[in-house]
Amino acid sequence: MTAPAGRSGPGRAAAVRLGRWSVVALVLASAVGLAAFGWPLLVNPEAGLAHATDAPLVLGVVVAGVLLVVHLALADGGMDVKAVALLGLLAAVGAALRPLSAGAAGVELVFTVLVLGGRVLGPGFGFALGATTLATSALLTGGVGPWLPFQMLGAAWVGLGAGLLPRRPRGSAELVMLAGYGALASLAFGLAMNLSFWPFTLGSDTALSFVPGAPLGDNLRRLAAFTVATSLGWDVGRAVTTAVGVALVGAPVLRLLRRTAARAAFVPAVFVTDRTAEHVADGSADRVPERVVDRSADRSTERPATGEPLPR
Amino acid sequence: MIRLDHVTVTYSGATSPALRDVDVSVAEGELCLVVGPTGAGKSTLLRAVSGLVPHFSGGTLAGRVLVDGRDTREHRPRDLADLVGVVLQDPARGFVTETVEDELAYAMEQLGLPPAAMRVRMEEVLDLLGLAGLRDASLRDLSGGEQQRAAIGAVLTAHPRVLVLDEPTSALDPPAADDVLAALTRLVHDHGMTVLLAEHRLERVVQYADRVLAVAPDGTVREGRAADLLEPGASAPPLVELAQVAGWRPVPLSVRDARRRVTALRGRLAALPPTVTDAPPAGGAPALTARGMHVRYRRAHAVRGVDLDLDAGTVTALMGRNGAGKSSLLWALAGAGPRSAGSVAVRREGRDGGDPAALVPARARELVALVPQDPMDLVYLSSVADECAAGDRQAGAPPGTCAALLARLAGPVPDDAHPRDLSEGQRLALVLAVQLAARPSVLLLDEPTRGLDYAAKRALAAILAGHAAGGGAVLLSSHDVEFVAQCAERVVVLADGEVVTDGSARDVLVASPTFAPQVAKVMHPLPLLTVDEVRAALAVAG
Amino acid sequence: MHPAAWWVWAAGVVALAGRTTSPAVLGLLVAATLVLAGLGRRPGAPPFSGYLVLGLGIVVVRVVFYVLVGLKVPDGQVLVDLPSWQPPWAPGVELLGPVTAAGLARAALGGLALAVMVLAVGAAATASSPSRLLRSVPPALHHLATAAAIAVAVAPSLVRATGAARRARRLRGLPDRGPRALAETALPVLADALDRAVDLAASMDVRGYARRSGRADPRALPALVAALLASAVGLYGLLTGDPAYAVPALAAAVGLGTAGGLLAARGARRTRYRPDPWRGREWLAAGAGAIGLVGAVAGGPPVVLAAVVLAGLGALVPAPLPAEVSA
Repeated sequence: MTAPAGRSGPGRAAAVRLGRWSVVALVLASAVGLAAFGWPLLVNPEAGLAHATDAPLVLGVVVAGVLLVVHLALADGGMDVKAVALLGLLAAVGAALRPLSAGAAGVELVFTVLVLGGRVLGPGFGFALGATTLATSALLTGGVGPWLPFQMLGAAWVGLGAGLLPRRPRGSAELVMLAGYGALASLAFGLAMNLSFWPFTLGSDTALSFVPGAPLGDNLRRLAAFTVATSLGWDVGRAVTTAVGVALVGAPVLRLLRRTAARAAFVPAVFVTDRTAEHVADGSADRVPERVVDRSADRSTERPATGEPLPR
Repeated sequence: MIRLDHVTVTYSGATSPALRDVDVSVAEGELCLVVGPTGAGKSTLLRAVSGLVPHFSGGTLAGRVLVDGRDTREHRPRDLADLVGVVLQDPARGFVTETVEDELAYAMEQLGLPPAAMRVRMEEVLDLLGLAGLRDASLRDLSGGEQQRAAIGAVLTAHPRVLVLDEPTSALDPPAADDVLAALTRLVHDHGMTVLLAEHRLERVVQYADRVLAVAPDGTVREGRAADLLEPGASAPPLVELAQVAGWRPVPLSVRDARRRVTALRGRLAALPPTVTDAPPAGGAPALTARGMHVRYRRAHAVRGVDLDLDAGTVTALMGRNGAGKSSLLWALAGAGPRSAGSVAVRREGRDGGDPAALVPARARELVALVPQDPMDLVYLSSVADECAAGDRQAGAPPGTCAALLARLAGPVPDDAHPRDLSEGQRLALVLAVQLAARPSVLLLDEPTRGLDYAAKRALAAILAGHAAGGGAVLLSSHDVEFVAQCAERVVVLADGEVVTDGSARDVLVASPTFAPQVAKVMHPLPLLTVDEVRAALAVAG
Repeated sequence: MHPAAWWVWAAGVVALAGRTTSPAVLGLLVAATLVLAGLGRRPGAPPFSGYLVLGLGIVVVRVVFYVLVGLKVPDGQVLVDLPSWQPPWAPGVELLGPVTAAGLARAALGGLALAVMVLAVGAAATASSPSRLLRSVPPALHHLATAAAIAVAVAPSLVRATGAARRARRLRGLPDRGPRALAETALPVLADALDRAVDLAASMDVRGYARRSGRADPRALPALVAALLASAVGLYGLLTGDPAYAVPALAAAVGLGTAGGLLAARGARRTRYRPDPWRGREWLAAGAGAIGLVGAVAGGPPVVLAAVVLAGLGALVPAPLPAEVSA
C-alpha cells in the first residue's frame, strides 16, 4: 500500500528548491516587477511612455518576459514531477474555486489557497503557484487580458511572501499571522493593480487622472480618490474573504498540505546493499544502516554521482 | 523477467516492514496474480517492481529488484518507462491530458520517439484495445471500463515488456471487467507480455493466472499455482469455498471446470425437497413508498416514473448497467438530488415522517440516509475523532455514539488518524457511522463495495443485515453480484430509467445470464446462490 | 488552425488600437474581433459575452468619470450644462460642470480603444484552445506548461467534485450556504486534489516524465540572470524615456533569455505527436497581425493597417476541398 502518511512531517517542505542563482533571479525579477507596477510614480514626464495610453501594454510585455525567464530559472534549479503535479492540481483548485465564489464582491478564495500553499510548500513553490493559478483561471474562465502578467506577478509575490513568513509561529498564532498576512497581501494586490492600470483605465482628461510629472503627493491623492471611487469595495471584500477563509479552514488545510508534503516528499530513498538486512527487517528505518546508497537526489535535475543509467 | 532478490521494504516512520524478505521471480510471458488482504503490501510489491518504491515513495529497500536485468537501484521509474508499463489504481486520477489520443501519445513523447514511429504505434494500440472509435473522446466522458483500457493503452504505446496493474477490474461492472480482462489475456497470449496484476475481486481473474503471489499481512510472500495457494477464508473467491465444501481437489478456477465436477453433488441435492426457502415478505406498512419518481437533467431523462416500496426489515439491491439511473434514483429518494416529478413518503418509528425533500436536511437525514458513491465527500475534518464528534453533534446523538458505531463496524480505528489514510473499508465504516448516528429509518448506499476485499464485504453485509433487523430498510446499488447474492433479499433491475424486474433475489439472479453469481452458474438449475446455502443444503442431505 | 496564430493576430489588433482614436478604425477593429469570435469559436470555449460586457463597461466607466470629474475644457458645443461643485474635502476636484460633445466623444473613443484590446484578446482566447497552445510551448517551459495543462484538464472535474461535496453536505444535514459552508465544501475537494496530485505524479513518473538523456547546461542559469539584468536596464530606459538604452537592452534581454531557455532545454529529448501544422492560413492570420503590430509601433497609417488586419480574417474561410478529378 502507499506509504503511511500523516507522520509529523517537516513544517515546511521546499517543493521547489531555490539555489543561489534562482534566488538572484527572483530578486532581480521582483525589482523589475516593482518598477513596472509603480511606473506612474517613477516615469520621467519627458518619456514617451508617460503619455501613451498603452504604457501598461508595453510594460505588460516586459513583465510577461520577466516571468517567463524567472520560471525557466525555477524549473532549471530544481522542480520534480511531484512539484509539477502539485502545482497543476493546486492551480486547478484555485480555478475551480472561482466560479464557486463568484457573485459576491471580491470573494476570492484563491488567495487563501495561495497563502496556505506558500506557507507549507515554500517560497519558490508559492511564487510558481501564484503565477500558474492566475494564468490557469484566466485561460479557463476567460479573463485573459493585458493585465494578466501583472496579476500573475502580484499573485506570485503573495505566494512567495507567505513562504518567507517566520517559521516559528504554530497553532493559533500561525493562523493569526497568516490571516493578517492574507488580508494585507490581498489589499496590496488590489492597490498595486490600480496603480499600474489607473492611467490606462481612466485616460487623461479627468480630475482624478494621472498627470505625468506632477508632484508625487498629488498623483497619490488622485490615485486614492480613484481607488475609493472604484475598486475599494472589491479590495476590502477580497481581503476579508482571504482572512476569514484562513481563519475558518486554515488549520485543516495546513494539516492536509503538510500531510501531502510528507507523503510526496520527499523522504529519502535508501537502498541497502546488504542482502540479509535483518536490521532493517525488524528495526525502524530511521536508523540508517551503514552500507547504503542514498538516492534522494532524485528530485533535482542533477544526477546522483553513482549509477548513471543512461549513456550520454 | 522480474526477479525480487530477498527484498525487504520499510517505509520511513513505519515500525514494521511492508514487505519482508521477498524472494520470487516471474518468467517472461506469465500472467501473475498478486493476492492478499487489504493492507498487506500488494501495492508495495507492484511499486517495487516499477521502481516507485523507494524512489518515489521514500523508505528503505533492502535486497535487489531486477526487471529484464535492469536493477531498480540504478534505474528510476522514468528510466524503466520503456520496459515496465504501470497502470495505477483508479486510472482516471493518473490522466495528464484531456483526450484519449493525447493520453496515448504522452509516454511516447516523453521517450522522444520519432514522429513516424508514434503514428504507427498509436494505430496499433488503438486497434489492440478497441479504442479506435474513441480516439478524440474526452477522457472525462469515458465509462470506467473505457478509462481503464485507455490507461492500459497509455502505457502500451511505450512498448513495455512488463505490464503492472493495480486492481484493474475492482471498480468495473461485469461486462467492462470482462472487456479489460479479455484485452489483458490477448496481450499475454498473442504478444508474450509479462503481466503482474493485483486484484481483490478474484472470481473473474483467477482462471487466467499462471502463477499467484500471495502477500500475507506480515509482508511475507508465497508463490505458487492458483489452485494450491488460494485457501478458503479472507481472500478467496466463491468457487474456492465451494470446492472446499464439496471436497474437490484440485480447486476448479473457472465455472466451466466446476460444472464438469458438479454432477454428483447436484444429483445428491436435487433428490432432496427444496431446503432453502425465502422468508415471506414482511407485512405491515413499508418504510418507504415512492410513486412516479421522475428525474430529468435538461434533455436527458435519468429516471422515468419509478414506483418503489421498501419494506422495513429487508435489504434490497438496485442493479443495472452504468447510466441506468441508479444513482439518480437514490439521490432523488433521499430528497437531496433533483426530482422532477413523483412523491416519497417515509415512516419512522411507526409514524408518518413525510417527504424528505420537503424537510430541512437535518430532519431529512433522520428519515433517509444516503452513503454516496465516494463516501469521502461526506468527510471534511482532519481526524477520525473530530469527525465522530461532529457527527454526534450534527445528528443530535449523545457523545460517543459515532465512535461506538465505528468501533462496531470496523473494529479499532486510530482516533488521530486522518480519514484519508484509512483503508477503503474503514472509510466506508466511518461514513456509515456518521450517517447511522441519526438513526435513519431507510439506509441508501450507492456502490458501497468498490475497493472492498472479501472480509470488508462480509462486514458490510453484516451491518446491512443488522440495520434491517432493527426495523430499518436498506437499498443499495451494486454491480457486485456475489455481494448482492450474499446480502440482498430482493433485487430491482433498472434499465434506461425504468424498472424492468422486481422480485426476490433468488428469482432474479438465478435466471439472469449477466447477474448470476458463480455458485448459481455452477449449481444451475438448482436455485442456490451462495456457498452458505449449499453448505446448509448438504447438512440436510447428510 | 495553429493555436498561436490568432494570438499573434490579436497582438496586432491591440497595438493598433493603442495608437489610434479614429472611430472608423476602431469600428473596423471591433467588427474584426466580433467576426473572429463568431466564426472562429472553438467548441467548449468560455462565452465571448463576458468580454463584450467588460468592453462595454470600460466605455461606460470612461464616460461616467468624464461627466463626474472630467476636466471640462471649453471646446465647442455644450450639450448639457450641469451645475459644478467643488467639494471642500477634495481640493482641485471639480464635480460635474458643462458636458461638451467633443469631450464626451473623446472619453468614449478612449474607452473604445481599450475595449478593442479586451475584445481582441477575448476573440483569440475564444478561437484557440488553451490546451493545444500549452502543447506547443518550447521545451524549456515543459514543466510549467505541464502544470498548466494539468490544471486546465483537471479543473472541470474539480468543479464537478465541488458540486458533489456541496450536495453531500445536505446528506449530512449541514447547511450549504454561508461562508462556513463554502469553506468546508472546499475542504474535501482540496484533500482529494492533493491526494490526486501524488497519484498523478506517480503516473507521470512511470511514463517517463522528465526523463533526460543528459544534464542541464550549467550556463543556463547565468544566462537567465543576465537576461533579467538586461531587462532591468531596458525598463530603466523606458521609464527615463531614453530609447538609446531601452531598445538595445530589451533586445539583449530577449536574446539572453532565449539562449538561456535553449541551454536549459538541452539534453531533454522529447518529441511531439502530431504537432499542429503551421501552414498558409496560419501565415495569413499571424502575418496580418505582425504587420499590424510592427506598423503601429513604427507609426504607419492606421486605416491601411486596419485593412491588413481585417484581411487576416481570411484565414477563417474554410479550406477548399481538393478539386475533383474530372474525367
